[in-house]
Amino acid sequence: MTTPEDPSVPAPPTGETAPDEVSAGAAATLDAAPRNPTTTEPEGSEPPPPDEPEAEIGADETAASPPARLPDGRRLVTLSPADRRRQSRRDFFLFGASAVAAAAAFYAVLPDTTRERILSEGEREFLDSLEARVGLGAKRRENILNRALTFDDDVAEALYSPRRLVRTYRRSDLTPVPNNYAGETPDSDYIPDWKLTVEGLAGGTPATLGIGDLLPRFRRRDQITRLCCVEGWSAIGWWGGFRFAEFLEAFPPEPGARWAKLESSVNLDSDGDPDPYFVSIDLATARHPQTLLATHQNGEPLSVEHGAPLRLLAPMKLGLKNIKAVTRIVYSAAEPPDYWNLQGYSKYDGL
Amino acid sequence: MLPEVTAPATAAPATPDRVVVQHHSLVRISHWLNVPILLAMILSGLSICWAAPVLRHAPRARTGSTDYLADLGYWAVAHVPGQKGFATPRTWFYDHFSLGHGILAEALRLHWLFAYLFMANGLLYLLGLALGGGYRSLLPRLSDARGSLAMMRYYAGLLPAKLLRRHWPHPPLREKYNPLQKLGYLSMPLAGGAAVATGWAMHKPAQLGWLERLFGGYDRARFFHFFLLWLFVAFVIPHVVLVIADGWDTFRSMVVGWSERVPRRSDDDA
Repeated sequence: MTTPEDPSVPAPPTGETAPDEVSAGAAATLDAAPRNPTTTEPEGSEPPPPDEPEAEIGADETAASPPARLPDGRRLVTLSPADRRRQSRRDFFLFGASAVAAAAAFYAVLPDTTRERILSEGEREFLDSLEARVGLGAKRRENILNRALTFDDDVAEALYSPRRLVRTYRRSDLTPVPNNYAGETPDSDYIPDWKLTVEGLAGGTPATLGIGDLLPRFRRRDQITRLCCVEGWSAIGWWGGFRFAEFLEAFPPEPGARWAKLESSVNLDSDGDPDPYFVSIDLATARHPQTLLATHQNGEPLSVEHGAPLRLLAPMKLGLKNIKAVTRIVYSAAEPPDYWNLQGYSKYDGL
Repeated sequence: MLPEVTAPATAAPATPDRVVVQHHSLVRISHWLNVPILLAMILSGLSICWAAPVLRHAPRARTGSTDYLADLGYWAVAHVPGQKGFATPRTWFYDHFSLGHGILAEALRLHWLFAYLFMANGLLYLLGLALGGGYRSLLPRLSDARGSLAMMRYYAGLLPAKLLRRHWPHPPLREKYNPLQKLGYLSMPLAGGAAVATGWAMHKPAQLGWLERLFGGYDRARFFHFFLLWLFVAFVIPHVVLVIADGWDTFRSMVVGWSERVPRRSDDDA
């Protein structure tokens, strides 16, 4: 490898060289640069590149000088000390302003509990009043965060395909399924009198069904699928029951219905007081071949802990949609409310 | 490769007016946007983790805890000065390093919001890499293997050499990044992509079942996602330390885009 040691190697005029040669030439010049670069004189034949005030990064480079590149491909540009100062000032101003804006936006979306934990009341009042002044109040925050949830729900709905099946497992893959009743587990007293009421039917009159009306009527299906909880844990369970799709054929909803609201009147809160649970299910998901109205687990009738005598099993939805001990189904054209959505969780919950 | 002597030279050699373009504006913007976005992802992610810890063990006899991060809280309350009075040791870690415990709905909303911002920001970064040609400085070469060893040797000996006041030269650098830097900076977009992919695998295991399987199932995807969190943390700490050690020019180049360190052959520490 020859390395030019002599800085006086003449630099011919440029302009006709191919890009590759240009970059090689630039590199040669750089590599040949003397230990003391200040002694290098500008090329004789070429006028020194004009001090373009607009010689900015990313700006068109044809104006000032031909492109010069380091061997690794990085571009060299001419920028006078004055321009460097000017550009640095501008960019650091933008950087600072953006940092302030980002910090404000970050604070604006922080949950109230987090603010209460890290800030004193005085600091909170000060920041909240600042925040309100720039239009980033609590209402705006709720809107932004709920938009994120709806957007994510819309993505999930767009991803949904009625033909796509969830993964099924073998018996050896079974895991314990935790009883994750949000409140207390109800007493089994309700089971003998249990009835399922169905409303919003095509016929108009609601239907009231006992478990004996249902079990003989539909074909029993068994499947081993994963139940994914919104909290992050999951469990593989063996469920038996009949397809919601077949139930929908037997008890067809009124024309135009797109939703089902499933309710459980036996649900209790953590103090043991009645706390009816309800979920919204889009009928597209209800008609999925793996969506069951489950009556059995591990080949046995459902236990109270898991929603005897009939629960929803929709493995393409989060666990919280898999309502236990269903007592009422209402079909509707409009989207019904959902228990956890009212508490800040998403409402489509498609997996 | 050193260029040929006879190659024609261009306008100006390394005059003091020349600067080297380091980072495309989109790369700089996405780099800094990562600060609030990753912070929000980590803080909300750990809050989500509280609801169902990823790494668990059999209940401890004394505390009943099954969560390693909760264990850290018990340890901290017992040993960290000033934390003795903390009322709920089980939540200590989450109350100090996340948005807080018991706010799953809030944390999920923030995690989704910032996840979409993170993905958009990643696209911005890739666009900047493509437009500015910065990807060239990130792609490793086979010949980097030897350079990596030299850099490891350099880092390993740096502190002893400083203590013994020995001259400990930086291995010569002909490129934007040394081979270890290259690996570090390349690992971040890869880790970002893996964090997004494992996130989707957990978020849509039914519709994106192939992705869930790719990571070896739902629980493994969770584990990888959680592991990547710590990889980001493990990257950021030395990253900040090394940028401070490297000096103002390096920091400034991520704001203004250019560096005054135009390498010459004699430069060892570009």
